Amino acid sequence: MDKLNPDDAFELGNQFRDAAIALGDWRISHRASLTKAQWDEIDQQEIRLLNTASGIYTSAIGLVLLDSEVAVVHLQSSLKAARSAVQRIATLKQALDLASALILFAAAVSSGNAAAIPAAILAVNDATIAIVQRQGSDGT
Amino acid sequence: MARPLHIGRGFFPGFAAFLLAVGVSGCANFDAVKKFATLSSNAANHAAVTRDYIAALDRRKQYQPPEFHAELDAQRTRREAQQASLDVFQQTMVGYMQGLGGLTTGEIRAYDKSLKDLGASLNKATLLTSDEKEAVAALSTLLARGVTAVYRRNEIKKLIQDGNQPLQDIIKATRKIVMRGIYADLQVESTLVSRYYDNFMLAPDNPPEPVAMALAREAKAEALGRIDSRIKGAQAYDAVLEKLAQGHQYLHEHRDRIGNNELNEQFSPYIDELRYAYRSLLEITR
Repeated sequence: MDKLNPDDAFELGNQFRDAAIALGDWRISHRASLTKAQWDEIDQQEIRLLNTASGIYTSAIGLVLLDSEVAVVHLQSSLKAARSAVQRIATLKQALDLASALILFAAAVSSGNAAAIPAAILAVNDATIAIVQRQGSDGT
Repeated sequence: MARPLHIGRGFFPGFAAFLLAVGVSGCANFDAVKKFATLSSNAANHAAVTRDYIAALDRRKQYQPPEFHAELDAQRTRREAQQASLDVFQQTMVGYMQGLGGLTTGEIRAYDKSLKDLGASLNKATLLTSDEKEAVAALSTLLARGVTAVYRRNEIKKLIQDGNQPLQDIIKATRKIVMRGIYADLQVESTLVSRYYDNFMLAPDNPPEPVAMALAREAKAEALGRIDSRIKGAQAYDAVLEKLAQGHQYLHEHRDRIGNNELNEQFSPYIDELRYAYRSLLEITR
C-alpha cells in the first residue's frame, strides 16, 4: 500500500472532524430522546473523533515538513551565496579604491610625462572591465 | 619645475564611453527590491502561529474530561518535536529576504566614506587644475558606484534566479501547513468549545437556570471569539505569504530588468499588496 501523502492526510483529518461535527449535531437534535448516559457516551466519542482529527493534522504537517527539506536546503544554499556576495562587495570596494588612487597617482606623478597617463588609465579601465565581466559571468 | 598636468582631451569622453560600454549608469535603482525584501522579512516572521499551534493542546484541556489529557500531552510532544522545522521555514524565508535586502544596499556606507577620502586626496593633488580635479573626482565616483551597481545587480539577479523555486516551494509548504493544518485544527478547537458549552446548556437532566445559561452563552461567545481571532490570524498570514510569493515570482520573471526605474514602477503594486496584507495581519494579531 502506498504511503499516505500530506494532502490525503489533511483530507482524512477533515473527514474525522466532519464526522464529529455531524455526530454532535445529531446528539443535540435528538437530545429529547437521549438519556444522560447515552448523551455522555456520544459526547465522549465526539471528543475522540476530534482529537483523532487533530492528531492526523499533526501527522500531515509532519509529512509536509519532511517533503520540504530539500527546498529548505536549496534556499539556504542560495542565501549563503548571497551573504558571501555582500562580503565580496567590500573586496570590490578595495579594488575600486585602488583604481581611483591609481588615477590620482598617474595624474600627479606623471606631470612630467603626460604621454604615459592614458596608458596608465587604460590599465585601470581594463582591470575594472575584467572585474565587471567576471562578476557578470559569475552572476548570470 | 613640474608643470600642471592636463589630461588629454580624448580621455574623458573615452572614459564616459567605457562606463556606457560596461552598462554602468551609476544610477541603478534597487529601492523597490529593497522595500520588498525588508517588508517581506518582517511579514514572513510570524512565530506566534507556531507557538499557538503547540499551545492549542493545553488550551483544549479545559474543554475535555481528564481522561483525555494524556492524549493531548502526547500530541503536544509531537508538535514540539516539529517546532524546530516549522521555525526553520520561517527563518529561511526571513533570512533569504534579509540577504536580498543586504544585496540591495551592500557596503554602500563604507563605500561612500572611501569616496570622501578620494575627495580629500584630490584636494592635495596640487598639480591638477580645479576643473580637472572636479572631472577626475566625478568620473572616479561614477566608475566606483557604477561598477558596484553592476556587481550588485548581477548578484541580486543570481539570487532571485536561484532562490525563486525553493522559496516558492517553502512558501507553498508553509501555506499548506497554515491553511490545511493549523486553520483546520483551529476549527476542531472551535467544535470542542461549542460542544463543551452546549453540553452545559443542553444536556439531559440539566436544570434550566436562566442566569447560568446566560453566563454560559456569554462564555461560549467569548471563547469562540478568541478562536475566530486565531483563525483570522492564520488566514491573514496565509495572505501575506501569497503576496510574498507573487511579488518574488514577478521579480524572477523580470530579473533582467532589476535596477531599472520602469520595473520599479511596475513592481510597486506588488509591494503595496504585500504591505496591505501585512498591515491586516498586524491588526488582527496585536
